[in-house]
Amino acid sequence: MSCYYTGLARSDLKPPVASRSRRIKRCRCKCYGHPKTVMVMAVVAAAALRSSSTRLSRLLPGVCGEAWGHQARRGAVLRVLPFIPTQDPDVIKKMPEDFRAVYPEFLPGPKPEYRNRLREKLERQDMLARRSVMPIPEFYVGSIMAVTVADPNASGKNNRFVGICIQRGDAGLRAWFILRNVVDHQGVEIKYEMYSPLLQSIEVLRLEKRLDDELLYLRDALPIYSTFPLDMEPEVMQEGAPVPVNPIKVQLKPRPWHERWERKNLQGVMDLGLPERFYKKAKLHEKPWEKYDLMKEYRATIPEEEQADIFREISPHYPLMESTRRRGKRKRVLPSIS
Amino acid sequence: MALPKLQCITHALKNLSLLSHPDQRALVCVNQVRAMSRVKRRHTVPPFWLPKTTRTMYPEHMTPENEVFLKDVIEEKYSSPLKTECWERGTWAKNSMRCGLIGRKIGIYPMWTKDGTRLLTTLLQVSDNQVIKYIKPEDIVQGKRKRYRELGALVIGADHIDPRIVTKEYYSVFSEAGVMPKKKMSKFLITPNAKLSPGTPLYASHFQPGHYVDIAGITIDRGFQGVMKRWGFKGMPASHGVTKSHRRGGNIGSGGDKARVLLGTKMPGHMGRERRILRGLKVWRINTQHNVIWVHGPAVPGGVGSYVYIYDSVLPDHRHTQENHPPFPTCFQDEEEVEEELYDQELHTFREPSVQFVEK
Repeated sequence: MSCYYTGLARSDLKPPVASRSRRIKRCRCKCYGHPKTVMVMAVVAAAALRSSSTRLSRLLPGVCGEAWGHQARRGAVLRVLPFIPTQDPDVIKKMPEDFRAVYPEFLPGPKPEYRNRLREKLERQDMLARRSVMPIPEFYVGSIMAVTVADPNASGKNNRFVGICIQRGDAGLRAWFILRNVVDHQGVEIKYEMYSPLLQSIEVLRLEKRLDDELLYLRDALPIYSTFPLDMEPEVMQEGAPVPVNPIKVQLKPRPWHERWERKNLQGVMDLGLPERFYKKAKLHEKPWEKYDLMKEYRATIPEEEQADIFREISPHYPLMESTRRRGKRKRVLPSIS
Repeated sequence: MALPKLQCITHALKNLSLLSHPDQRALVCVNQVRAMSRVKRRHTVPPFWLPKTTRTMYPEHMTPENEVFLKDVIEEKYSSPLKTECWERGTWAKNSMRCGLIGRKIGIYPMWTKDGTRLLTTLLQVSDNQVIKYIKPEDIVQGKRKRYRELGALVIGADHIDPRIVTKEYYSVFSEAGVMPKKKMSKFLITPNAKLSPGTPLYASHFQPGHYVDIAGITIDRGFQGVMKRWGFKGMPASHGVTKSHRRGGNIGSGGDKARVLLGTKMPGHMGRERRILRGLKVWRINTQHNVIWVHGPAVPGGVGSYVYIYDSVLPDHRHTQENHPPFPTCFQDEEEVEEELYDQELHTFREPSVQFVEK
């Protein structure tokens, strides 16, 4: 009589020989095999047996790779796919190192309840089709852009808006960004869906990054920091030059604000000048352990292997997409604060 | 839905001393079917008449060579041409009903029409749909209405599974048709002119962009929920002296003559995991390579990965006519060439140039 779960004979009460790998757990029949342990080892054993080496099976007495290979295949969740980076030199040459930053909307949302490989693949195909008709340039939060949309109510049927990108979000065909500008002393923010067919063109007038990921604090900053001329000329950039980071520190208006900026760890603002009690309260709300929280990062991102698969899949389209990236020489113009 | 009838059986009591006369047999209702208000909504156990799908697996100690051999045998068995004869294909007539499809909800993403209107579409994948059986109208137990007496049925299966893990009883359902065992099966009522021979594969091109469908599915299981989420009650204020009753239902009776809680009073309970049908959803786009259908709206019942049953719409506005009926009884994709991507006329395909408004 052998244990149903492990295949070990019931009289066999010795723990298995493989001592390096697993914590020994007891099976319910009190033989020393544990179902999960054995299944993982069996997947390995099955692989080893397939390559016709019996050394591993001798190391694991009572475990027949094939008996459990089938079950392990059906029931095991412990399938670790090896990450094999592409060897194709053309793909490697074309794949930008910073593709995660340049094409962030190609990475799907991480929530597993909504994920499906086929849907993501079809969505990527649609995104690339749209990009072939209307190229979408590389941009970051902090870049100054001009967007032209078709508007049935505008004169000339097109509407052009220039502004600084303060936020971008979502993935896939829902990807959007918000442009902000101050027109006639009135702050205006417009949210654009990147893949909407109403968009005629997206130009990046000044390509740069800021010290923060989101610039929502510009709503509480002095208007000069959000004002950009509507007829601004595009500033050309040198091919291959890194994206400059604008270290500007913005001055905020006095309180009240839209949010408690003292709690947000902003790098791009000047000293807020608040009484001490605000900073004390902010310290209570700090979560310094979050940077050590691996599971939080895991839940918020796609695994590296899948990201590489995705970018490998869209790599044939890189030449077209890359040609719309920065070209030419760049001259810098700082906003005048007077 | 009609209330289930009361089923009473005559029960001969063993201990007849309980009765005054031996001829008096008590009419005892043993299989009483409860009214809808008493029916449990959450079923954790499948019904007794459902056969077991998968069999108990025992360690079989198979060698790798045997595994490979078995795989080859299975492949050979199911890749050979269909053994059943091809039946005569019916033609469309008024009030014809053809079968539907079993799909899986794979996600939602936005699409745009040619005038720039944004809409959300749900993607449904139709994978490995095949006809298992045709049931003649005489063999179906249906209601007494004349319309339903004339309808046959087609049993469609979706998503094949390994025949080795399946019970003999379940396998026998498929062995007559000569198809691989399926994970999901459903019956679709049809007019006899829409019948298909067992083993006929069904593809997403069964439907066409521009037509309308009804979709049935099981809604997301939300578990035990309170009245605010379940019935949309407004609750009570968070402050101003409200004592322990911020999300509760409040009064449940009307008092007076009706000195009881009325049947059907809305209260907390299990929410979700119910069969719901959404009618009149437009089909916007079909991909025949991956068998994916894009239908209107994000509200298809069920979560991503759940099965749905897609029918031709019964709504009077979207009935088929002689001029615009879909392929009848189905689109035989193996015989005809079908384009890879089919779009509705009003839909903006992403390869087209951007939408522009012309100055009048």
